[in-house]
Amino acid sequence: MAGHSRRRPAGTLSSGFGRALRIALPIVATVAIVAPLGWLWQDSRVPAAYSVMDMGYPDYGVGAMADPGMSGPGGHMQGQMPGHHMAATPRLVTDMVADPTRPADVRVDLVTRQQMLTIGGRSIPGFTVNGMSPGPEIRARQGQLIEVHLHNESVVDGVTLHWHGVDVPNAMDGVAGVTQNAVPVGGEFTYRFVAEQSGSYWYHSHQVSNPQVAGGLLGSLVVTPKSGVAQQVDVSALAHTYGGVRTINGKAADLRVPARPGQRVRVRVTNTDNGPMKIWASGPYRLLATDGTDVHQPTEVSGRSVTVTAGGRTDLDVKVPSDGSAVRVQLSKATAVIVGPPGADAPMPPQPTAELDLLAYGALAPLGFDPAHPTRQFEYRIGRRPGFVKGLPGLWWSINGRLYPHVPMYVVREGDVVVMHIANHSGEVHPMHLHGHHEVVLARNGVAATGSPWWVDSLNVLPGETYDIAFVANNPGIWMDHCHNLKHAAQGMIAHLMYEGFDTPYRIGGPADNQPE
Amino acid sequence: MRTAYKVLAYLVAAEVAVQAMVVVWFVAGLDKWVEGGGVLDKAAMESEGTPFPQVVGIMAHGINGFFVIPGLALLLLIISFFTKVRGAIKWAVVVFVLVIVQGQLGGLGHDFPWAGALHGLNALALFSVALYAGRRLRGTTVAVVEQPEARTATPV
Repeated sequence: MAGHSRRRPAGTLSSGFGRALRIALPIVATVAIVAPLGWLWQDSRVPAAYSVMDMGYPDYGVGAMADPGMSGPGGHMQGQMPGHHMAATPRLVTDMVADPTRPADVRVDLVTRQQMLTIGGRSIPGFTVNGMSPGPEIRARQGQLIEVHLHNESVVDGVTLHWHGVDVPNAMDGVAGVTQNAVPVGGEFTYRFVAEQSGSYWYHSHQVSNPQVAGGLLGSLVVTPKSGVAQQVDVSALAHTYGGVRTINGKAADLRVPARPGQRVRVRVTNTDNGPMKIWASGPYRLLATDGTDVHQPTEVSGRSVTVTAGGRTDLDVKVPSDGSAVRVQLSKATAVIVGPPGADAPMPPQPTAELDLLAYGALAPLGFDPAHPTRQFEYRIGRRPGFVKGLPGLWWSINGRLYPHVPMYVVREGDVVVMHIANHSGEVHPMHLHGHHEVVLARNGVAATGSPWWVDSLNVLPGETYDIAFVANNPGIWMDHCHNLKHAAQGMIAHLMYEGFDTPYRIGGPADNQPE
Repeated sequence: MRTAYKVLAYLVAAEVAVQAMVVVWFVAGLDKWVEGGGVLDKAAMESEGTPFPQVVGIMAHGINGFFVIPGLALLLLIISFFTKVRGAIKWAVVVFVLVIVQGQLGGLGHDFPWAGALHGLNALALFSVALYAGRRLRGTTVAVVEQPEARTATPV
């Protein structure tokens, strides 16, 4: 049969053209497929060292004063950023520090090491702070100046400390490549900030944070009110999963806290994992605070669970029963805090199907600002689409339709009242964390909040949900606004909030090998 | 080129079979782990560790589904331009489209579980089409093509 085509006369003009076409067409088709892929691939790559100021495009939001030459997304790494040209002499993130002349009230030395951990009888590679994981709990009273001296003894990739939920001065935020260089082995860094607001916080590394936080480079930070803690027993329960092993305060077991019958207990639950966790109690409870901010007039709750998102903190108030038994706070079904007389127990309460909705919990109270008249309005739409991030193909998280590094840089001016609309169309839950600020929830899925002001720094945004949040731009600098599922952050789910006229001398990558995710 | 086409089409079919196997392997391991008292919530799912060994199954499913199979389908499509067999491009396109649909249904299943059911059904369609695309070329010779450049092809 092949012979048939060989016998065919060739060489006429039309068949010559046809043959050329038949050779060219598949090649053209191939190029038509491969070339756009190649372009997308190269466009997604990031330089070996770059400033977050050169990343993505500036987003001035709606309601901003229209300055000529400030509009339109640049979308390129080399796009001009407002910090570079707005002010003749930009203010640097490093300028934003606590009063250097003020002596410290609380001084802590923290030494970080890379080592094997023994968790639940298993040996797991991880990290320690002062020889343990979690590291020591730092406790301070409201208004005190905390000074932490960090020494990295052996963490090969370098470390930083980020004070999750504390609105520190920008230079103290501990983001490698944005507010400081990663502290190399043998290096040191001193963090100084005033604990302005009482509440439950935590600290963790923000250099290569995905493996370092998962490996236990973290600890609890508690700021008690000037008036003292109202409850007789005050306990921190840091939930963390080490290599698949669920723990509270580093132990793969329930946390037993001695207390007398009738005593009131404040249980500070911190979720240091990458996904949300549900908590519930064996008896009635009051939800005292979210993310370090007190709920206004919290009422007693029974038969409902509370979601503590990744990075979030929830303070519960429970009462030790008077009959000699214990009260139990479940941190998921895996672990529990058991508070009561020694030896007392309580059976595991079944997981409630109903959930406490913080949108309508507690009583209304003044916010201290008027979110009805914002000076900036932003969108933070989370999606997921195929493409390339840092040269790798995949199904990646998008922010306002774009992939890292072509993500928005939200630009504000000091004093702005900012409203942000967060929408999650990505099919997965995202714990959204804004550094340096606390945001109040105005509405969820268009339904306005009717309870106590619900202040967060880590917001659980479920698939299909939208949130309207508001905050006052009152802490100048350059701040990360990212997903605290740190795996997602490492996959490029990172945007920044910057104040006009700011710049950073630090670089992602570079000689210090800064990798904040 | 035809051999490459056949191999790629069969590889896609084989990968679909692997996908079905590893995902059920994962579910079986999860069930065994939960029966033994293991607790799975988002915090556990997102942890770095492997609470039970079959977690590898869902990871393999993701890597195969996100990278390997789309890569194979794309290569098949490109190769199809050069096979000079009637219908080869058409069936490579069908395979490619079904792969894209499969990925979308898999992702959509996180929001709408019914999409997960269609993900299972579409897998059967993809498996069949990929197998058919490969088998179509069985015994094909240059006879189906009447172009002079078919000379270079080796008759089967």
